[in-house]
Amino acid sequence: MTIPADIENTPPRRQAWWRALMRDPSAAVSMIVLALFVLGAVLAPLIAPHDPFEGTRSVMQPPVWAERGDWTYILGTDGQGRDILSRLLYGTRLTLLIGLLSVGIGGFIGSFLGLLSAFYPRLSPFVMRFADVMLSFPAILLGLALVAIFGPGALPVIIALSIATVPDSARIARSIALSVMQQEYIEAGRAIGLSDTAVFTRYLVRNSISAIMIFMSLRFGQIILIGAALSFLGLGARPPAAELGMMASQGRDFILFAPHIAFIPSLTIFIIVLAANITGDALRDVLDPRMRS
Amino acid sequence: MIDTAVRRLLQSIPVLIGVLILGFLLIQLSPGDPARVFAGAMAPPEVVEQIREQMGLDRPMLVQFWAYLERVLQGDLGRSFISNKTVASELGAAIVPTLELMFACLVWSIPLGIAMGTLGAVWRGSFLDRAIMAFSVAGVSLPIFFICLLLIQLLGVKWQLFPFIGRGGPLWTLEGLRHIALPALSLGLIFIGPVARMTRSSVLEVLKLDHVRTARSKGLKERRVIIKHALRNALLPVITLVGLQAGYLLGGAVVTETIFSYPGIGRLSVGAILSADYPLAQGCILVLALAFIIINMIVDMLYALLDPRVQGK
Amino acid sequence: MKHPSKSPGRLLLAGLVATLPLGGMAAAQEITIVREVDSNNYDPQKSVARAAAEGLFMMGDTLVSLEPDMQTVSDGLAHKWDVSEDGRTYTFHLKDGVTFCDGKEMTAEDVVYSIKRWVDPETKSPVAWRAGDVKDVVALDDKTVEYQLEEPFSELLYQLTQSFGTIVDKDNVEALGEDFGISGFNGTGPYCWESWTPRDKLVMTRHEGYDWGPSFYDNDGAPHMAKITWQVVPEENTRTVALLTGQSQVTQYIPAIAIDQMNQAPSVEVQRSDEAFWTYFMGFKINKESVSDPVARAAMNLAVNQEALAEDLMFGKVEPAYSYVSQGALDWNEDLDDDLLRYDPERAKKMLDEAGWKVGEDGVREKDGIKLQPTAYVFAGSTWQKVSEFVQAELLKVGIDLEIQAFDATVAWGKLATQEFDVFGMSFPYVSSGDALNLYFRSENMPTPNRMNWDDEETDMLLDKGKTALDDETRADAYGEVLKKVHEAAVWLPLYHEPMFITHTAEMEPVVPHNNYGAGLYKGLDLKFKE
Repeated sequence: MTIPADIENTPPRRQAWWRALMRDPSAAVSMIVLALFVLGAVLAPLIAPHDPFEGTRSVMQPPVWAERGDWTYILGTDGQGRDILSRLLYGTRLTLLIGLLSVGIGGFIGSFLGLLSAFYPRLSPFVMRFADVMLSFPAILLGLALVAIFGPGALPVIIALSIATVPDSARIARSIALSVMQQEYIEAGRAIGLSDTAVFTRYLVRNSISAIMIFMSLRFGQIILIGAALSFLGLGARPPAAELGMMASQGRDFILFAPHIAFIPSLTIFIIVLAANITGDALRDVLDPRMRS
Repeated sequence: MIDTAVRRLLQSIPVLIGVLILGFLLIQLSPGDPARVFAGAMAPPEVVEQIREQMGLDRPMLVQFWAYLERVLQGDLGRSFISNKTVASELGAAIVPTLELMFACLVWSIPLGIAMGTLGAVWRGSFLDRAIMAFSVAGVSLPIFFICLLLIQLLGVKWQLFPFIGRGGPLWTLEGLRHIALPALSLGLIFIGPVARMTRSSVLEVLKLDHVRTARSKGLKERRVIIKHALRNALLPVITLVGLQAGYLLGGAVVTETIFSYPGIGRLSVGAILSADYPLAQGCILVLALAFIIINMIVDMLYALLDPRVQGK
Repeated sequence: MKHPSKSPGRLLLAGLVATLPLGGMAAAQEITIVREVDSNNYDPQKSVARAAAEGLFMMGDTLVSLEPDMQTVSDGLAHKWDVSEDGRTYTFHLKDGVTFCDGKEMTAEDVVYSIKRWVDPETKSPVAWRAGDVKDVVALDDKTVEYQLEEPFSELLYQLTQSFGTIVDKDNVEALGEDFGISGFNGTGPYCWESWTPRDKLVMTRHEGYDWGPSFYDNDGAPHMAKITWQVVPEENTRTVALLTGQSQVTQYIPAIAIDQMNQAPSVEVQRSDEAFWTYFMGFKINKESVSDPVARAAMNLAVNQEALAEDLMFGKVEPAYSYVSQGALDWNEDLDDDLLRYDPERAKKMLDEAGWKVGEDGVREKDGIKLQPTAYVFAGSTWQKVSEFVQAELLKVGIDLEIQAFDATVAWGKLATQEFDVFGMSFPYVSSGDALNLYFRSENMPTPNRMNWDDEETDMLLDKGKTALDDETRADAYGEVLKKVHEAAVWLPLYHEPMFITHTAEMEPVVPHNNYGAGLYKGLDLKFKE
């Protein structure tokens, strides 16, 4: 019987993805940009030119390309004389971390629930109702409420964003799982006597996971934006930590005199999210047309 | 259609109760002391204890929740700790500005988004199409506060076209319109993107479908074909989108209202939660959940209205 | 002094210079005043918020008023007053023709009611002590009030100029009950309550027929403005551009960073008053472990560079503070001038080393198992954020790790009444040293406003001596002693003294800044558009 062999092989489509992706210039550029940011964030302690938390007396220095700027502070300094480039690197780190953890945790829990509810249809209405309840809470209010309990910080934000990711992931995972389950090899697996758990883990999960992750990547950008918005409102990381949304918020007071303090971190968020969205879109297009629902 | 509405309503009841429980719990778990907040900074401990008893905060949580439920069902949402005005009156005053903001934002971004998406689909692959798509992705990637700040700097400060503080009055007054312009513009810019993309892909798909071909064979002019059939069916996902995006829209409204000092529910909620004003915070969460349920209901009904196949279910 | 970036800021403002302001409000005599925070209510005897005082000075009147020099007491609702020899009885003679906004005449009975309400334990007023040790208040006739004290109170007249002494309407209080100061307020002031949306705006209209304002105002009749809107704008940058674009006509809440540019912009004018005392400081709870060592506290004082704070973070617009009250304040003890703790981080490190505070592996000092890691509670908002971050950074350089927790204004007051923190950030207005010392250093004022838990019998005794003093010298001596004690114990870390800046559009006549409780516009009788 060739079925086990078919089951063991990864679908040939997967190898074609990379090639298709690389052919799309904007996707390729986006992935490179993302990789650069991640690299910068990871290597922050090594490559940051200054201490991101140390204030100096050279406040509000403009970036190097403006008049009065110089190479000591390439992107200028903020209202307390701290080097913006260094804070940017550390800030990206924290922002990305928050985003990844939130999408990771929320996505994992949500996908698990979604896959379960597809596998055991009787669970379905309960899971979906539960998801509905959670959907009624916009992420930002959830964040606010959690901050009210735990005080501001990265942790409540991560918890809130994870919770906010669960319902969407559950739905997506469920619909992906449903279509995967229509594949014959699920029935085949059952036919050869594999236990439910085995079918679940080896076939359902394995075949759904890439599609799920692609949809997660689309969520990633939005989660980062919500996290930044919470930080902007003062509910995220506490000083003296550097976080992109918080930096933008601190820069508001100087907009008339040193707009770069607010604009540089905001632009950074924009670029990261843009790159994430373009990459996510391209990945999903490659899966197209079937997964586009 | 009534069927759908009733069914949705019944399905919403557990959701609503869930939200009530969640809202109550969240605030109960908060480390702040409502009795202390209510009594004021200078009150001696005995006064604080008295107030705690008065407020029933020393009773077990289930008892408190039941009491809360009773009060809510009678329409008594309590008084704000901070302003001492009734929660109902504060909410009432704040709902209208937010509704106006939502309306002002959707009224221009949905039609424009649909138009853009349709154009993109019709002239697929052209420079226009790619520009529209680029604009859409960009719109979704911009942090909302960035857009707000940019608009304030350009349109508010530099060219002084619009004010950017507070609400000028009801939507139908000139001052009201002038004050809502920038917030509505900021919020709408984020919304156009998804609408355009969704419209574009829906129109593209529908253009391929059989019944459009059938219409073509009847000899109608191509433009009418597109507008009549494709759009109508493309509208459905867009409407669902509005429902789904309502959450993000509200999140954006929170930031927008804060930056523009616009006295809506978003700003009220943030203030209430930040200042541990429990009655007001609970009231806000309740109202918002209700809003979502209503929005979803409306979306469902519109869906049923526009898609004859659904009605038949 | 560092100048902020030249090109973008100045170009932008140059562009603004040529443009016309938005909102054609000059035609109607209406103005919008922007401010950062709102009050929680407008009940004069219950709210200590400056925002309440701002509103109440305009909507109500007090028996006496304070002139802009912050020293001279002037007329208010009383045109004349006598003080008995023993300092225990004050007799106030009220002006004629004073009415409330609803038309009712104000009499001595209303004064009696208001003062009694102020000190009545039922009212639970947090500022009852400011009325003095009241024995009784009696209406001798319709226009004469006798104010009797158990003991002389050298500052009574100053305290009566505060908004807490606003004369209220008994019928109004009884009618509104819980909603007094929330849904309405019937006062005798130059403006009348129209509406209040909490955290958004307070609207008031002209009190027609008003002509009993303090005599130091040029305007002795009804106010020029027909309507005033106090708009809450939490963003300092937005307040700045509100004035530049004419969306607001006058405010004192322009951030230090913008003052220079405002001075240069032709569409706005800036008025400055140095008689305004508003001091920013951080206080230590001296019985908490991490800050109980006076050497550590003194070291913290030495570690912070107040001058850099004033120059860099506040753009040179404030005065660095080394004393707990301004050295220009009434009854300041000049003998202390040379001993004040100024910036000397090396000395700080030395002191800490000698006292046994060793630097640990993580850079934080510890001694006997106690780490120098105090927790500070401050108000949320851009000012305290940058100030506390600055202090944190300075203290870290000498091995002290300050943890900062910021709270929104409305919840902060409650948090600051607890014993949870070690350090707190605060700012406050005062008319004299005595005013400040009585507020913060009386043992009976623990846990708040005496958050330092300063419990010293001798201090209490000296404060009483100053309070009941019948001549200036006795009073100054007593307060001088207290100042010496608290400065030597380093119970505070003074940061800066903030002068009052009032910024207004060029279409308005120059405004004279006041500083009673920090309310720069005081009664608003001089707010006027240029003809």
